[in-house]
Amino acid sequence: MASLSLSSVRKNYGALPVIKGVDLSIEHGEFVVFVGPSGCGKSTLLRMIAGLEEITSGKLLIGSKLCNDMEPRDRGIAMVFQSYALYPHLSVYDNVGFGLKLAKTPKDVRDRKIREAARVLKMEHLLDRKPGQLSGGQRQRVAIGRAIVRQPEVFLFDEPLSNLDAALRVDMRMEIAKLHKELGATMIYVTHDQVEAMTLADKIVVLDGGVVQQVGAPIELYQRPANLFVAGFIGSPKMNFTPVRVDAVNGNRVAVSGEDVINLTVEADPSNVSPGDTMTLGVRPHDLAPNQAGSIVARVGLVERLGNETIVSLELVSGTNWLVVLDGDRPLARGETLALGADPAKAILFDAAGKSVTRRS
Amino acid sequence: MRSRASLLGGAIALLVSLVVFVVPFAFIVLMAFKDRRQANLLDFSWPNGVHLWDNLVTVVTTRNWMLVTAFINSTILTVVSVTLLVLLGAMVGFVLSRRKTRWNPLAEFLILSGLMIPPAVVPTIWLLQGLQLFGTLSGMILIEVAYNLPFTIILYRAFIATIPRDLDEAAIIDGGRPMDIFFKVILPLLWPVTVTNIVVQSVGIFNDFTNPLYYLPGNANATVQLTLYNFQSQFNTAYNLLFTNIALITIPPLIVFLFFNRQIVAGMTAGAVKG
Amino acid sequence: MVTAIASTANGRRSPYPGWFFLPAAIVYGVFFLMPTFASFYFSLTRWSLFEASFIGLENFIQFFREPFLVKGLVNTVLYAAVTSGMKVVIGLLLALMLTSQIMGRGLLRALVFFPVLVSTIGVGITFTVLMHPTKGAINEGLSLLGIAGPGWLTDPSLALFSVALVDVWKGVGLATVIYIAGIVAIPKDYYEAARIDGGTKFQNFLYITLPLSRPATATVITLSFIGGLRTFDLIWAMTKGGPGFASDTIASVIYKQYQSGFFGLSTAGNVVLFILIAVLVVPITAVLNRREGHQ
Repeated sequence: MASLSLSSVRKNYGALPVIKGVDLSIEHGEFVVFVGPSGCGKSTLLRMIAGLEEITSGKLLIGSKLCNDMEPRDRGIAMVFQSYALYPHLSVYDNVGFGLKLAKTPKDVRDRKIREAARVLKMEHLLDRKPGQLSGGQRQRVAIGRAIVRQPEVFLFDEPLSNLDAALRVDMRMEIAKLHKELGATMIYVTHDQVEAMTLADKIVVLDGGVVQQVGAPIELYQRPANLFVAGFIGSPKMNFTPVRVDAVNGNRVAVSGEDVINLTVEADPSNVSPGDTMTLGVRPHDLAPNQAGSIVARVGLVERLGNETIVSLELVSGTNWLVVLDGDRPLARGETLALGADPAKAILFDAAGKSVTRRS
Repeated sequence: MRSRASLLGGAIALLVSLVVFVVPFAFIVLMAFKDRRQANLLDFSWPNGVHLWDNLVTVVTTRNWMLVTAFINSTILTVVSVTLLVLLGAMVGFVLSRRKTRWNPLAEFLILSGLMIPPAVVPTIWLLQGLQLFGTLSGMILIEVAYNLPFTIILYRAFIATIPRDLDEAAIIDGGRPMDIFFKVILPLLWPVTVTNIVVQSVGIFNDFTNPLYYLPGNANATVQLTLYNFQSQFNTAYNLLFTNIALITIPPLIVFLFFNRQIVAGMTAGAVKG
Repeated sequence: MVTAIASTANGRRSPYPGWFFLPAAIVYGVFFLMPTFASFYFSLTRWSLFEASFIGLENFIQFFREPFLVKGLVNTVLYAAVTSGMKVVIGLLLALMLTSQIMGRGLLRALVFFPVLVSTIGVGITFTVLMHPTKGAINEGLSLLGIAGPGWLTDPSLALFSVALVDVWKGVGLATVIYIAGIVAIPKDYYEAARIDGGTKFQNFLYITLPLSRPATATVITLSFIGGLRTFDLIWAMTKGGPGFASDTIASVIYKQYQSGFFGLSTAGNVVLFILIAVLVVPITAVLNRREGHQ
C-alpha cells in the first residue's frame, strides 16, 4: 500500500491541453473517486497514473518513488478496464495468472495466488472457462481477480461497472466496497456516475475541463459544493438554480430576492457578499417544502407519484423550471399553484463567478 | 408461363455453367486414365481400359524421379515462405495499425506499390547473383516473401484494427514487454486471419510459375509448376503423361480447397476489397 | 525505417516498437525495391549483367519502333481490357445466379471458384489441347452443331482473344465471389421497399443491385486490369506469344528478350510495363473510388 501524490500535473495532446495542472494527494488505503462528465479528463488522469499516457509536465509520486518515466509494470499498480480487457484466448485461470507468468513467478506460488484470488471473488468454479463463456458480472470478477493477484500498491478502476445492467451494478458496487475493506489497498476509481462516487468514495475528486473543481468527502461535496458545477453535478435530482439580488447582509445571514424569490434569508460568508450583488441561489429538490408563507411561488407541471415520495416539476415566475421532491404521496394537480419554503440552512448562494459564498462547518 | 420460361432459362444457364466448368477437369481426369495412343487423339472420349497406374509410375519416375524432387522443393519453398510471411506480415500489420507515425503514409504507399508494380526481372537476377542467391531455394524464398508481403500485411492490418487496444494495455499493466504483447496476446488472437493467410499464400506460391522460371533455373531446383514446362516438350507425344502430371499437381490445391474453402474466399474477397 | 525506432519524449519505450518493421522492410527493400530502382538505370543501357554501357533512351525508342514490340504493347492493353470487361459482366451474371434460389448453389459456387486455385500452366496446357483446331474437343463439339470451329490458337487474329477467354474462365471465379460478397451485403430493406413500390425484378437489378455493388465492380476492374497487364504464364503456356508475334504481351517480350540476352531491352520492357500500369491503373482507381465516395 502506498500514498500517491500529483503536483501540477499537465497533459497536452499536441497544442491541446486536456489536464490543466492537477494537484492531489491520496493517502494510504484511501478510496478515491474521480468523477465528472465525459471529456473532463478523469480517464486521462487515471491513465497517466497507470503509465498508459505520458505526463507532459508535473510530478507523479507513488509512495516515495517519482513515477513519471517509469514503466507501468514497475509502478506497483493494477488496473481494471471498462471493457474488462480479458484475453479471449486464455482461460480464466490463465487470465488471472498472466501477469505472474510474465514476471516468471514459480508455478506453485502462481497457482496459490490465483486460487486465493478466485476464493476472495467466489469464482473458483469459473477457472477453466474462457472469457467468452462468462456473463458480464463474471467477466468483471475475473478482471478484478487479475488485478488482485498482482498485489498492487494502488488499484485503478476505469469505469468498471458501466457495461453492467443496473441491478448487477449495485451488487458489484457493494463487492468492490467490501474488497476495499478486506484488502485495505489504495484505490482510485473513475466514473461518470455520481451515485457510484457518493457510495464508494472516501474522497471524491470532481473534474471538469481538465481542472479539479473540488476535492472532499462525499457528504461535504453534497452539502458544501465549492461552485455551481459541483453543486449541479453532485446530487440527484439536480440542484435548482435561479438568479437573485442581495438586499441586506446581517452577520452571516443574507437576505435575497429576485423574480422567482420573495425575501429569502440564507446563510453566507459576509466577507464575500455586499448588498446589491447579483448572485445565483441554489436549492436542492429535497430541501423545499410546501409552506403558505414560503418565498417561492410556482405552478405545478408534471407530477411523478412514486408512493414513498412525489417528484414535482415546477414552473417559476420567470419561466425557470425546478424540481421538488416531497415526502409521501402528494396528489397535486397540474396547473395548481404551490407556495414553497426553502430551508435557509441548506440553500446556497453562488457569486457571479459561480463560486459558493456559503460556508458552513 | 412467365415463371416457366424463367425456370427454363435458369436451368439452361445452370447447365451451361456446369458444362463450362466441369468439362475441362473431366478432360484432365479422362486423359490421365488413357494409354498413350488414345490420349494422342486428343478427343473427349471414354478411356479404353484403366492406365492410370502405369501413367503415374512413369510420370513420377521419369528423369530420375524429378517430380518427387519438385514436390519436395515446392513444399520447402511454400512452407518456409509462408511461415516468414505470416511472422513478418503480422509484425508490420500490428505496428502499422496501432501506432500513427509519420512513416505510416510511406509504408502504405509502398504496400500499394507492391501490389501494382511488376517486379523488375533482370535487375533482380543481377542482384541475386551478386548475393550468391541466384538459383538457390533461399533466394527464391526471399523473393516470394518480398512479393507477397503487401497482401499479407493488408489482411493482417485490417484484422488487427478490430482487436481492442484495451487488450494491449491490460498486457502492459500486467507487465508485458512489446514482445510479450505481440507473441502472447496479439498473435494468438490473429489465428483466423493467419489461417486465411496461410491458405491463400500457400496456394499462390505453390502455383507460382513465373518467378521460379526466372530465379530458380536448373532441373535440380525444379518446382512442380516447372515440371509441366520441362515435361511439355518431352511428353509432346505422350499426352497421357502430361495430363497425369497436371492431375497430380492439382491435388494439393484441391485438398486445401476442400478443407479451407471458406477461408480462401474470405481472404481473397477481403484482401481484394482493401487492395 | 531505422529512425522509426522511436522512443517517447521521456525516454520510455513504445509498446509498438518500430523495429517490428525492420525484417519486412529489409526483405522488401532489398528484393523488391532495389531491383525496381535499378531497373530505371539499366533500362538505359546495353547490358550483359557484367557490363552496362549507357545508351540513353535507345531501348525505349526501339520499343516504340519495332513492329513486334509495338504489337506487344497494344496486345497488353487489349488483353487487360477484354479480360477485365468480361470478368465484370460474367462475374456479375454468375453472382446474380448464385445468390438466387437455385438448385445446387453451393456446388456451383465451388465449381466456379475452383479454377482460381488451379495451376495456370495446367489450365493453359489443358485448353491448348481442347482448342486444337482439328482434334480439339471444342471444335469437335461445335461440328456436332454443324459449326466449323476456328483455329483458336493458330489464327493470328484470334490467338490473343482465345487466351483471354481462358484467362476469364480461370479468373472469373474470383470476380464472382467478390460480387457475391457485395450483393449479399446489400441490406434486404431496399428490396422490400422496392417490392412495396411495385418494382420488377429487372428494375431491382438496375436501381438497387447494380449501383450498390459498385465497390465490388471497382475491385474487380482494378484487380483484373492489373492482373491482365502483367499476365505472362498463361500466354506462355498456350501460345508462347505466337503465332509469330500475334499474342505477345509486354511480359512475354520481357522474357523473350531476357532469353536472348538483351538484358537492357528486357529491363526497358519492365519500365514500360511499370509506366503503363501507373498511367492506366492510377486514374482508373481514382475515378472508381471517387464515385464510390459520393454514395
